[in-house]
This record gives sequence, structure tokens and C-alpha cells, in this order.
Amino acid sequence: MSEQNNTNDCLMSIEHITKEFKLSDGNILRACNDICIDISKGKTTAIVGESGCGKSTLVKTIMGIHEPTSGRVMFHGKDITKLSNKEKRQNYRHIQMVFQDPATAFNPKMKVKDLICEPLRSFGIISKGEVEERAKELLRQVDLPEEFVNRYPHSMSGGQRQRVAIARALALEPEVIVCDEATSALDVSVQDSIIKLLVKLQQEKGITYIFICHDLALVSLFSHKVVVMQKGTVMEQLDGDKLAESTHPYTRDLLNAVFSVH
Amino acid sequence: MLLEINDLDITYGDNTPTVENVKLSLNEGEILTIVGESGSGKTTVIRSILGLLSGDGHVSKGTLSFKGRDLKTLSLKEWRELRGKDISMIFQDSGNMLNPVQTIGHQFREYIQLHSDMSDSEADAKAVEILKRMHLPNAENILSSYAFELSGGMRQRVGIAMAITFHPQLLLADEPTSALDVTTQAQIVKELMQVVKESGTAMIMVTHNLGVASYMSDKLMVMAGGRVLEYGNARDILTNPQSNYTKTLLASVPTIGGKRYV
Repeated sequence: MSEQNNTNDCLMSIEHITKEFKLSDGNILRACNDICIDISKGKTTAIVGESGCGKSTLVKTIMGIHEPTSGRVMFHGKDITKLSNKEKRQNYRHIQMVFQDPATAFNPKMKVKDLICEPLRSFGIISKGEVEERAKELLRQVDLPEEFVNRYPHSMSGGQRQRVAIARALALEPEVIVCDEATSALDVSVQDSIIKLLVKLQQEKGITYIFICHDLALVSLFSHKVVVMQKGTVMEQLDGDKLAESTHPYTRDLLNAVFSVH
Repeated sequence: MLLEINDLDITYGDNTPTVENVKLSLNEGEILTIVGESGSGKTTVIRSILGLLSGDGHVSKGTLSFKGRDLKTLSLKEWRELRGKDISMIFQDSGNMLNPVQTIGHQFREYIQLHSDMSDSEADAKAVEILKRMHLPNAENILSSYAFELSGGMRQRVGIAMAITFHPQLLLADEPTSALDVTTQAQIVKELMQVVKESGTAMIMVTHNLGVASYMSDKLMVMAGGRVLEYGNARDILTNPQSNYTKTLLASVPTIGGKRYV
């Protein structure tokens, strides 16, 4: 893990994040327990684990959806968990998100061009007249035909919708894209094409991905670093190409749970 | 032959058939898996076996015979006796088939008494016994719970437990593990295999996970666009695929320690 020791490469550092929730019976649930992860610039960091391991809670903390109980997330010299609402809004220009189910992430009454360009319009970057042109350009980047600008989300397949979601995330030219189970709802062949697209965009634009997933076989395809979580704690951090060699018992359990075709 | 389907066409409304020319046969204890991407008609095929096509879907051509009986000529009463007893079904999320405002125990008892003349206490004892077979701890607690109080994996075990209560001769499973994470999926797949083998039940499963298909199936059917591209011995198809689509599908499956895009 030599590259992580080089601080110049580190774009975002998650430092000792702990998040506790108070349950209705008065007990405390510790969803994230002292989590430290360095996110390298232009690389893919995958966070894997079973449901309930705290990976989504961690992402929500990074996105500022809720505040951590303790710890901080440093990004460009600032703790982004302590931003004012105004600063938080500006921060979203640099960090965008792609969700698991694009069907529920879109307003069904909006056309693709308006969906894709909404972030740009919201920040006042382009005028209404530029929407169509910019939407076409973004669709080209995600390998969709330009004619899709006038479609509605329901008249596209799941894979096409996920490409539109990626186009929307790209619109503001962010440094980081957080993908929360972005391919879990898709069929294998479609999943494969989306991963290829993400990798292509990373190579072209140097985007940093934080990829939340429970499928180890999938993350082994394209991650530079894999963080394995269980019950709110980081069990192991290892290089993406060293996943098969892991000796950690929990990682081994996860690896053994994958059914191979042959 | 337990189940025999010949020249099956299924049509929704008056349009051209959605699914065409399906032919399959299944012996006792055999497991057939249908793979294919969303919209390929795989769910339509298994729903037609249970006479449960949604909307105005109907069998427009061909024959379906179960133990020598023509399924197209059954009366509603005959269907009621068959469904849930000789042929039962497991859904992708069993939580959706359970009534949210009744306890699991209430629904389990109702289901058992519909197909047998057991007393309340006998039915409850039966339910507990079957839940224990699915490795559910505290089966009594589960009977007094509501569906939303259980995790996805637990709900799925309840769904499978209900489906195998009467040792059905044919079990239909529509993506039974797709909504679960890898470790839970591995447990459920193994438990499902075990109960199917123990009771000599034949099974047709729909999935898009080729690893799971490879682990479980004797026979395999590959569908795309409402047509059967390949059908036969699972091992033969997986090691020596004939259609280009099957080849693409197999090439899309990520493997740990396999190819990498970065």
C-alpha cells in the first residue's frame, strides 16, 4: 500500500469517524466505529460488507446527510462534516452521487435533458437555452444516443437509466463520485458495461470513485483499494488486485460466499 | 415426466406473443434454471406454469402438462388445490407476499389449515418445525413477529419455509436470492439445495446470477427477447456455449483474481 503513504495522492481522508444512533429503547447503536480511510485521488476505493455493516451510514456522513458523533472528513483542507448549509451546497459541486435504483432517483415527470442539467441550472452555470446542447454532450460521454434528451425515465431500461444517472453526476465535473450499490440492481451483462463506462471516465477525467458494494467479485474488477467492513468496523484494507490473497477470516468468508460459474 | 411444456406461446392482450416456442421437461428432483436479462420473458414462463400470468397475459399456443394433467383445462377449484401444495412458489422478496398487518404465525397457520385439517396447535408446531429446518433461530419468536421486523434474509427463509411446507413436487423460484447480499445468498442457496434434495422436489429457478445457476442446476435455459436461445444440460452449456448471447453473458461474470479493467 505504498501509494497511500504518499500524502500528495490523498484527496479525502476519513479520520476516526464514529456514528451512533439512539434507539427507541434507549440503547445506542454504533453504526460506524472509529473509521479511518484515505481516499486516493483518481482511484477507486471500494467499501464492501454485508447489509448493516455501516457502509451506507459512512457514505451519508461523507455526503453531509448526517453529522458524525465524532471524527472528521478532510477534503481540500476542510472538515466537510462541519460545513454550514451554504458551504455544503457548494461542496456538492465536487462530490456527486449515483444511487442503487435510478428509477427512484429521478423525478418521473422530467425529461432526460432536464434531469441531467438540473445540477448545472441549479448552480446557474448554464442558461435554459444551453440545456439541450449540454445534455447531448453528456449523453455522448456515457455512450447513449443524443435522441434520449427528450425521453422520460420510464421509457428507458435499467442500464440506460443508470447511464443517465452517471451523466447527471458528471455534469458538474466533480472530483469525487460516490456510487452506492450503483450496479446491484442490474443484470450481469449490463453491470459489466456500466463498470467499463466508469473505468473509461476515470481514465479520461481522473475522477475519484467511492464505490459501495457487497459483491467482492465485482469490485475486484476495477478497484484500486478495497475496504472490508463488518458491524461498523473496518476489518481490512487491501489493494484491489490482492483481494484473492487476503488471509483475513472475514474477507475469506465473503470471498467464499461468491459462486463461481466453473 | 413431472412437467412437460411444448410449443408454448404467451401473449399479453392481442399483440404478438411476448414469449414464443418454449419447450421444456422436468423429472422429479431435477433443478432447471432460467437465465436471461430483464424483459427476456423468464418470469412469464414460470408464472404461466402456476396459471398466474399478470394482467391479460394468457397461453396462446402450446401445452403445459403436470403429472399428465393438462394445466390449461383446470378449474379454479382445481388450481386452488394445486397451488401452494403440489406446486409452490418463492418470490424475490417474500416480504411483499406477506401481509404487513398480520403476524407471520397467523399467516403461516392460515396457509397450513387451507391445505390440511390440522388444529391450531398442530399447525403452529408444524410451522415451528419447518422454520427450524431453514435454520431460523427462535422460530416461536418469528411466528409472533410482523414481516417488517425481520431482515431480508430472515423474510426469505420464511418464504421458502412456507413454500416447502407440503413437500411440493414442483417448486418455482423467481430470483429467490437476488435481493440478498453475498453471504446471506450463499446460505440461502445451500439451504434451498438441501431441502430440495431431501424432499425430492423438482425446481425451476429464475436468476441472473450465473454462479448460483451453475452451482444449483441440472438443466439450464438461456432466454433473450422472449425466445429460448439454449436449453439443455447445465454443465454443457456453461462449458461450451453455442449462442453469442450466452458467450457475452458468461464473459460478463466477474471473477475474483480474474480480469481487471484497471
